[in-house]
Amino acid sequence: MIRLVILGLLACVGAARGGELPVSPQALRGVDASALAYTYAIGSFVPEYTPPAPGTYELPVIDTLDDHPLVGEDGRAAQLFELTRDRVAVVAFVYMTCVESTGCPVSQAVLHRLDRALAADAELRSRVVLVSLSFDPERDDPARLAAIRAANAPESDWRFVTASSEDTLAPLLEDFGQPVARLRFADGRWTGLYRHVLKVFLLDRAHRVRNVYSTGFLHAELVLNDVRTLLMER
Amino acid sequence: MARRALLALLLLLTTSARGDETCMSPYMPKITGQEDWIYVWTLGVEGVGDGSDKLVTIGARPDSPDYGKVVSSASVGGRHEAHHAGFTDDRRYLWAGGLDDSGIWVFDVATDPAHPKVVRTIKTFVKDTGGLVGPHTFFALPGRMLLTGLSNEKDRSGKTGVVEYNNDGKFVRAVWLPDDAPYGYDARVEPRLNRMLTSSFAGWKNYMRDLGELMGDAEAMKHFGSTVVVWDFHARKPIQTLQVPGAPLEIRWALQPRHNYAFVTTALTSKLWLVEQQGDGRFKATAVADIGDPSKTPLPVDQSLSADDRFLFVSSFMDGMVRVFDVSDPYKPRVAHEQKIGAQVNMVSQSWDGERVYFTSSLLSKWDKKGDDNEQFLKAYGWDGKQLTPRFTVDFTKEKLGRPHLMSFGQEQFYKNQIYTAADGRLAQKAP
Repeated sequence: MIRLVILGLLACVGAARGGELPVSPQALRGVDASALAYTYAIGSFVPEYTPPAPGTYELPVIDTLDDHPLVGEDGRAAQLFELTRDRVAVVAFVYMTCVESTGCPVSQAVLHRLDRALAADAELRSRVVLVSLSFDPERDDPARLAAIRAANAPESDWRFVTASSEDTLAPLLEDFGQPVARLRFADGRWTGLYRHVLKVFLLDRAHRVRNVYSTGFLHAELVLNDVRTLLMER
Repeated sequence: MARRALLALLLLLTTSARGDETCMSPYMPKITGQEDWIYVWTLGVEGVGDGSDKLVTIGARPDSPDYGKVVSSASVGGRHEAHHAGFTDDRRYLWAGGLDDSGIWVFDVATDPAHPKVVRTIKTFVKDTGGLVGPHTFFALPGRMLLTGLSNEKDRSGKTGVVEYNNDGKFVRAVWLPDDAPYGYDARVEPRLNRMLTSSFAGWKNYMRDLGELMGDAEAMKHFGSTVVVWDFHARKPIQTLQVPGAPLEIRWALQPRHNYAFVTTALTSKLWLVEQQGDGRFKATAVADIGDPSKTPLPVDQSLSADDRFLFVSSFMDGMVRVFDVSDPYKPRVAHEQKIGAQVNMVSQSWDGERVYFTSSLLSKWDKKGDDNEQFLKAYGWDGKQLTPRFTVDFTKEKLGRPHLMSFGQEQFYKNQIYTAADGRLAQKAP
């Protein structure tokens, strides 16, 4: 089943424009499906708890970020801090071809739920920005990001961006602590997939990392409570 | 519409748990196939080799000429009471701690996984944490590392706390354990429940003391932990204290969906405890089995639960035994197999598929046995669900390495970011 999904997705996406080409999706037929999805080998995550109430706990500073050049779905250059300045930001590192059932599709689904929740909350709407940041700038170019944005029809301020170039991508990933590597066959051919640990970052108004979510933590209600906790800080 | 349907389908697909590595953080990638290396955090012994603590890499791939042999050794210089270690959330770095002087060494295992190298040393644990001593458990969280302490600088008792550093080694926070359960040892998180469990051992003045001398000191023997604390993990707040007398050590959450329980073993009372969430959300601790004959103090020290939650391997130091409990019914564990591993045995680790089990011998430098019983080894076995079959042994004294303690697995294809097709022959690879 998962193989069919993988093949379908890859066929939809097509090859990179220039640079390194991924293999034909047909090459993935002989691959153990679990080998493509073992970033988190312990299945799905369905939270079975009520998150603690906003303001009843602390979110210490985990890291401080530098500014980085990006390009948006409109093709215009922008700095990371231009997007996030004076607002709480939820930044998800993704690539749009990801097929891991516990990977990028989960983070995009959570951002979608956050988008609807923020849009419905007049107090939060102008104080929070959602950012889907692709680490696959070659394939996730502005045109593709625009199409994905349109498909999601955001109702809050949800940006779809990528690094301005491969050269600016590496320091961006290093600064966030988001390792990414092209997943290859033993003969060196690129599968078209990336190995990455799913990470979504919560940034405060001073561009400091206040939480990092992965599969086990990524829960829209929990993120919303964290956002509210940060906004309660003076 | 088609895209949304595809997305929905993807979200429904899950990867089933198929074995362990089961005691690793759930936030960390798992090595699901054959492990290629075993990283062994090893205590230095005066007069043995360079006498220093070191990370030893053992070959574990059956078709490799390095199978069962020492591939490399990375010394950190000096003896620090090397004890436990754990990977970061991306599995690229292995953090390892010393219980005596509270040093932490970060090894890069990704760049050249057969030859890990120290890339960062943290010597400020006591100062950073406001007086905690003895970094023990290293449990990966997204972007950071959760550690437990065993003691404190002020009185060297078991009063201690839990600590977080970010992956760059920057201190984030320390939270002391509650007054009614101040001792610490292990910490394990079940993200599905937003619950963390911490167990409790003893302070520096006990674990750095000769075991025979300690056991003869009735007053000192009173200063061991007897509690398991349940935490609201997201809030990092203790919410319940459970009485689990006799030094509850390693904690293993069950891995299957809807299995809202963990196992804990008590070293001094030799019991297997079930710590289970009740219908009201609170937890209950129940002793569900003896481990060997408690009157003989076998001293159970480590456990490893298979990913299907069926087999629990429990190693006990004094009698050198492993007992494999069938815990299919967690309320009624039964011994499915037991076997002598050596004169002394400490850690037990199994592969993700449950087919290979490894043991090391050293508990603490001052607690290990003396004379001929002071065997220092890593032993590898195959497990077929019924019996353990010896595969190889590395004699750490003969190899001039020291006292082997914690084991972690590495894999070539993982660090090369490779996948293999069935035609490559690696997927079906089995040990001989």
